[in-house]
Amino acid sequence: MGKTITKEEFSLAKVDAVINKYVGKPGGLLSILEEVQNLNKHKYLPEEVLAYISKKTAIPLSRIYSVVTFYAFFNLKPQGEHSIIICRGTACHTRRSKELLEFIKKMLGIKEEESQEGEKVFLTTADKKFTIKTVACFGQCALAPVVEIDGVIYSHMTENKLKELVSRIARRGKAK
Amino acid sequence: MPKITIDGQEYQIAKATTILKACEELGIIIPNLCYLDGVSEEASCSICLVEVEGAKTLMRACVTEVTDGMVIRTNTERVRKGRLLNLELLLASHPQDCFVCERNQNCQLRRLAFEMGIQRVRFSKETSISLPIDQSSSAIVRDPNKCILCRRCTAVCEKIQSVRAIEAINRGKRTRISTFMDRGLGNSSCVNCGQCLLVCPTGALVENYHIQGVWKALSDNQKFVVVETAPAVRASIGEEFGLAAGSRITGKMVAALRRLGFKKVFDTQFSADLTIMEEAHELIHRIKNKGPLPLITSCSPGWIKFAEHFYPKVLKHISSCKSPQQMFGAVAKTYYAKKIGIDPRKIVVVSIMPCTAKKFEAHRPEMDAAFRYWKNVMNLDEKEHFVDVDFVLTTREAARMMKEAGIDFTRLADEEFDEPLGISTGAAVVFGATGGVMEAALRTAYEVLTNQPLSDVEFKQVRGLEGIKTAELDLNGLLLKVAVANSLSNARVLLEEVQNGKSPYTFIEIMTCPGGCLGGGGQPIPTDTQTRQKRMEAIYEEDRSKSVRKSHENPAIKQIYQEFLGKPLSELSHQLLHTHYHERNELDTPFLLNKTVKI
Repeated sequence: MGKTITKEEFSLAKVDAVINKYVGKPGGLLSILEEVQNLNKHKYLPEEVLAYISKKTAIPLSRIYSVVTFYAFFNLKPQGEHSIIICRGTACHTRRSKELLEFIKKMLGIKEEESQEGEKVFLTTADKKFTIKTVACFGQCALAPVVEIDGVIYSHMTENKLKELVSRIARRGKAK
Repeated sequence: MPKITIDGQEYQIAKATTILKACEELGIIIPNLCYLDGVSEEASCSICLVEVEGAKTLMRACVTEVTDGMVIRTNTERVRKGRLLNLELLLASHPQDCFVCERNQNCQLRRLAFEMGIQRVRFSKETSISLPIDQSSSAIVRDPNKCILCRRCTAVCEKIQSVRAIEAINRGKRTRISTFMDRGLGNSSCVNCGQCLLVCPTGALVENYHIQGVWKALSDNQKFVVVETAPAVRASIGEEFGLAAGSRITGKMVAALRRLGFKKVFDTQFSADLTIMEEAHELIHRIKNKGPLPLITSCSPGWIKFAEHFYPKVLKHISSCKSPQQMFGAVAKTYYAKKIGIDPRKIVVVSIMPCTAKKFEAHRPEMDAAFRYWKNVMNLDEKEHFVDVDFVLTTREAARMMKEAGIDFTRLADEEFDEPLGISTGAAVVFGATGGVMEAALRTAYEVLTNQPLSDVEFKQVRGLEGIKTAELDLNGLLLKVAVANSLSNARVLLEEVQNGKSPYTFIEIMTCPGGCLGGGGQPIPTDTQTRQKRMEAIYEEDRSKSVRKSHENPAIKQIYQEFLGKPLSELSHQLLHTHYHERNELDTPFLLNKTVKI
């Protein structure tokens, strides 16, 4: 792909269409935020767009920020084109998911300090191709350790398997 | 009516009453840190635990309603242990720096820790994260580390004020109260009313302290430091010295301020009378020139910022009169400076206010009328810029300074305000209560409009603590519909009508805080319905005790117009005593004007 994101535009016409679909309906804000986040390749909600939604829906900014920060699903920062989510639940931890996390960070050349205990891991490569995140549990403990890549959960993950999958994405844009 | 048993005694309690309320009525104290009657029922602190026979767990009294035959125990080993554990868990993430905490003397968490006999804090705070203090606001400082997430502040901000500047963000142990994108209160739609601060059980919310600046000015003998005190302060400051709410201690307050070292002890009530002169004439002018009506009062700076954020279309209806605090600063540094022949740059104006929003108001960039007045006359450089009001102390801060100075407030003999800016009328006193500005303006407007003496100066229809009061008044043939709102959620009701061009009123008074200034965010803690009622009674009593009760009969006011201003709404009045408002966006968001946003 290799395109820069600077030229990309968030079409307010599309945002308006989403808002009009849900405004005033119970739980409408969640649907608006979800669909608006998906309008963008980098799957995030810039501050300006949140302010725009607030103005259009008359929902206070503080409320919108409250909802966006409550749900792990919403992103305030741009995501890489591909997401790699390492499960850090207990079962996966005992099956060395921490090493998997360190391995993938090293492989993709991310040299950030380890996040504070209890904080969400959220790391994106400089070329905005990959985002590495962690999750508390996928509920697939029997298959531990599990890693989700672009929405697909892979079981019994090893460093070699991870390397292969990620290299394939880097080459061809998809894992399979 | 359900029959219930509490601690072995039988009672009959009305249906749908919570255990907490039932106990309150019966004089049984159930401790809690988050409940606020009718406002906050979040049940978040879990301190109000009681034992209910047949229930598996201890129940929270604040959200459990009584049922027929219920057997409740409020003082058993199990109850005490349950409450204690929950309190210990709150203390586990709370800093233990009570010495240096502003709420040291009236912190509910600290008091509860004492009452529950906490000997040591079992769970240490080591692993918790230290969060930055929000100092973005000129009025209110927020320390999230002291927050126990009771949600009283968010509830008051939403339900009483309908502002919603703050909300709970994140979840789980990372939950905290914040503004949009953590920009801080100073960069949000917060109107600085301080109602959140009054209900905060800890020291997480305090005013932006001006005490050190005032001490510094007082010890500088190059400065001429004068003080002005708002009407509502005299009805409440006694509470800080252990006197009952509603104690009238005006004379003692004056004496104490003189002991602090102020060169002159003046009265914001003088400038309240001045406000009435200007505003009553503005009202008459607008009635005669057909608008824009209704005219809305402008004394309450929280309300002004609220209008600038939420009702920009209504701004033209708001009186252009500055608030009494700002009128005082402007005339102290012009008229008074001239009168006593002192360099206005040497004068320091300190105001004592029941209000936190007044700190913000004094910092508004347009509040420098005296500097503008002198700039050409004295050939001043912009670098010598000074503001009209230098420091704003809340009632609490003023009391703290008096305590620091070792003043035995209650034993002071009464003293009088200094002349001429300390002379005021009963009309100015009532500014401190909701409906007061309306009443004071009517006393003057009536006589100016009709040229006849007003037989009864008391407009009782606009008095009292109800949220919205309306009245239809007959001003000698001219029918005048008026409305008074206190608290901003009530104000919204009247403002929607104004915005839609459907307001039936000619004159509207809006006060930001419940009860008006007497319930302001700068007042002694606790400020609740009972204390508000008592302070209100003190204010109306003070009005009755005044020999002059109409602003236009104030001799010092007559004098200032004769010697200086000319007449109400004169050019000089406009220059010094009037202001303008501007629309505010919570965010500086020019992108909203564009069709697309680049990301």
